[in-house]
Amino acid sequence: MKRLLVTLFFILVASNSLAHDMTPTYPELKPSYMEGLLVADFELLNKRNDVRYYEVAVFDKDWNPIPFVTAYKVIPVPYLSTVSVDLFIRDKDKLIVTYICSKSKLRKSYETQTIISSRICSKVKRLGE
Amino acid sequence: MIKNPLLIIIFSIFTFSAFAEDVPIEGTVQSRCIITTDTPGVFGNPNAYTLTTAATDGGVLPVVRYDVTLADAYYAQITTPTSFSSSPTISETITWTGSTEVDAISDATGMASYETNKVTFGQTTQYDLTATGSTWFKSSVSATMGGNKAFPGGTYTAIVEAVCVAQ
Repeated sequence: MKRLLVTLFFILVASNSLAHDMTPTYPELKPSYMEGLLVADFELLNKRNDVRYYEVAVFDKDWNPIPFVTAYKVIPVPYLSTVSVDLFIRDKDKLIVTYICSKSKLRKSYETQTIISSRICSKVKRLGE
Repeated sequence: MIKNPLLIIIFSIFTFSAFAEDVPIEGTVQSRCIITTDTPGVFGNPNAYTLTTAATDGGVLPVVRYDVTLADAYYAQITTPTSFSSSPTISETITWTGSTEVDAISDATGMASYETNKVTFGQTTQYDLTATGSTWFKSSVSATMGGNKAFPGGTYTAIVEAVCVAQ
């Protein structure tokens, strides 16, 4: 009976999975193929069937935005897909870049409800840290 | 009917020499924080001038789950709304109240202090995720129309923001 309940629990949890996942926790800045730019790469996994797009942003330690370049600022991530993202920042910003964040972009709903927006912020790992 | 013995030998060789191939399954375990929408909340409408997620008023509390695989590496920040993301036109001021608390934990020992150690600033509640595993957080949200006037008919949506920040 206990085993049945445990199995049922995991089935229910799995079937209700609406998850936003971003790795790694501590991305590294590496030299890129373009002079004056550093690159950090990370992966987004979309297990939210209510979300198709994620917005990327970069901040310093005080949450001030820092300019960056990605192929798309709002990245399409199909449901149950993983997308690798290369994010470029200027070499002169390498000492102040602290957080790289991805945020779910929600569509307008037609129901009277509260929707949950998710945002995951990785912390940039610098050489020597 | 195969008459040539050479052909028989060739077929035999191809039939019995099974091409065994190992199919690798690879995976990498990385530290991560996963935010899962466990229950999207629903507003109940106990009277004309209140929308609330309280179950006693016909609402459903939004529940979000955090899964972390590395202890002491993340903060969970949950912010309750202070405006509707979509609603009919409202001219009156709306008073918002919101709070967040731990709903369930996967590690009764390591996560027991989450609720007592939480920090609240404004509409945001922050938890230090000091243990690995899953934690469910539930938020209570209430919107009250100023002057006890009625909410216009229509659909109302508000957004709870769940953030996971690496330390």
